[in-house]
Amino acid sequence: MIRLLALSDVGKDYAKVETDGSRLRLVRDLLLGRGAAQVFRALQGVSFELQRGASLGVIGENGAGKSTLLKIIAGVIPPTHGSVDVRGRVGALLELGSGFHPEYTGLANIDLAAAMLGLSRAEIAAKRDEIIAFADIGEHIHEPIKHYSSGMVVRLGFAVATTLRPDVLITDEVLAVGDESFQKKCIAWIESYLADGGTLLLCSHSMYHIQKLCRHALWLKDGRVERYGAATEVTQAYLAFHEEKSAGAKQPIAVAHAHSAGVYAIQSLDLLPGDRVEEGGDLTLSGEVYSPDGRAPTVLIGIVRADGTPVFGVSTDMDGVQLRPTADGKYAYSLTLQRLALLPGKYFVHAHAMDPEASRLFDDVERSFIVSGETRELGFVRLPHRWD
Amino acid sequence: MVDSTPLRQPPAPAADAVAQRRNRALFRNFFRRELTDRYLGSSTGLAWALLHPLALLAVYYFVFTMVYRAGAMQGKSFLLFVAVALWPWLAAQEGLQRATVSLAGYAGLIRKVAFPHELVIYASVAATLTLQFTGYLAVLVVLALFGEPVHFEGLLLAIPLWLAMAVAVTGLALAFAALQVFMRDVEHVMMPVLMIVMYLTPILYPLAMVPEGLRPWMAMNPFGWFVERLRDTLLDGKLALHWGDGLAVAGAVAVFLAGLWVFRRLSSYFEDFL
Repeated sequence: MIRLLALSDVGKDYAKVETDGSRLRLVRDLLLGRGAAQVFRALQGVSFELQRGASLGVIGENGAGKSTLLKIIAGVIPPTHGSVDVRGRVGALLELGSGFHPEYTGLANIDLAAAMLGLSRAEIAAKRDEIIAFADIGEHIHEPIKHYSSGMVVRLGFAVATTLRPDVLITDEVLAVGDESFQKKCIAWIESYLADGGTLLLCSHSMYHIQKLCRHALWLKDGRVERYGAATEVTQAYLAFHEEKSAGAKQPIAVAHAHSAGVYAIQSLDLLPGDRVEEGGDLTLSGEVYSPDGRAPTVLIGIVRADGTPVFGVSTDMDGVQLRPTADGKYAYSLTLQRLALLPGKYFVHAHAMDPEASRLFDDVERSFIVSGETRELGFVRLPHRWD
Repeated sequence: MVDSTPLRQPPAPAADAVAQRRNRALFRNFFRRELTDRYLGSSTGLAWALLHPLALLAVYYFVFTMVYRAGAMQGKSFLLFVAVALWPWLAAQEGLQRATVSLAGYAGLIRKVAFPHELVIYASVAATLTLQFTGYLAVLVVLALFGEPVHFEGLLLAIPLWLAMAVAVTGLALAFAALQVFMRDVEHVMMPVLMIVMYLTPILYPLAMVPEGLRPWMAMNPFGWFVERLRDTLLDGKLALHWGDGLAVAGAVAVFLAGLWVFRRLSSYFEDFL
């Protein structure tokens, strides 16, 4: 095993300056070699090692210190504390338009980026065509970068960062920008790079990409390592954390409001066994719905992906089901999805109350849940299948 | 391990030779960029680099020779006397001013790519001085064509003098550019200060015309010394070296090293302030 990267107790302080006076003091302190007096601690106590061939996903909320960490590893900024030991060539693609000059053409920027990487002029000339072919942005390569769409910038950036097959590839949330086909191309490239023994540090908000490309994951929270371990375990813990956070913020259903407004309204929506379901397990969605006129309302329940893509929806009306009234003039509903065909990931369930004729939709109550599992199947629904 | 003044880390512990080759390539790239940036979009392109000093020369000819009818200065026409000293000053001034604000144009790179930031300053100063020196030569040639007695063999010494001046200007530019990142006023304070220094330097007049009591003070101005030496070589053809030259070179190197020290102390914090 060859160790390519070792971070030991790495921390980064950013100087805090509010007034002109504190700017002057900061300059004085820096010149005296004292370091800034007032600091914001962006990162602290981060230690880990990467062996050749490893793949590490870095996850965390905005402002958790992910970009700072990647910048330190890429050598863009020095750590304030601790030490970073990098062996081998690092190819970094930090944020959008990484290191491009907006006034310059794609070609001129390729030359600049190649010079940054230490290529000789002959090497640049040799690699240029390869980069242009991978970026695949046609005639735009002769136009200034400022006229590019964000997707084209990422295409060019990825093409440049990867053309040298660096020993360590660092990418910061770039897969999210390119279009579907380019994302696929990038993922295919990264997979072949990893298969050939390349080392990857990927920062992403897409747990899908992390789980797909990384064996390990590092969860940063407020500049510290919250969790470090196998990618599936860390990403699931991270998603669970977000679940709790968003559940805490959720408004309770306004019962009084529904009564006074005199409309059909969902009063409650409960998930059984809870907001985590094993893939293939049963999920029961139940609750009560209010009816202003004593007639049994229609309930429509839908499942959508975290990104809003509808997966499945069904109503009592479609299935010819009549809701049972409860003691206090409400109606109970309960829908069980047996042997859940959803693949692991995050989903939302929406419950809507409709009038008995199922012609008008009155409200929308939402709960999220996570389907957990280790399957590597793609998409979001398992279709019954057979290989022959 | 706590280190409050961390040194810049190279992106990889590549061999020094590789790092040096990379830095040279980057310098070339930045240098070209500085040259083309200046004339990007102007139809005359780099020819402007020659047209500008010549146009200025024509204006000075009009003002000093035709309007003021300025007489001879130290046995030379006033125009020649001023031209030899004024263009080096304009070069130093422009080199300093442009380099001081040059880092902002590279903010995108500095925030996202690891490279020695001082290359930006080197490229900026080098580009300005290259253009200005070319213009200086053009001015001298045109003056000679109009019959002014220019000693071109003086360039043998004038070129090393310019190089020493470039080293000193680079040192000042390093310090000012680094300070400018944290305090935006540096650029604004510099303009009036440079103008005052110009009038206090024997550029438009010879040191001999300054009142006796003030002369020792004026003589301490290193740029005044530089201007005097240029006149010795290009106007009088004196090529002899003297002890002051060694001192000047040592002083230029000292200014450079001091500037580099300031720059390196501050440069690891640029990323956050640009």
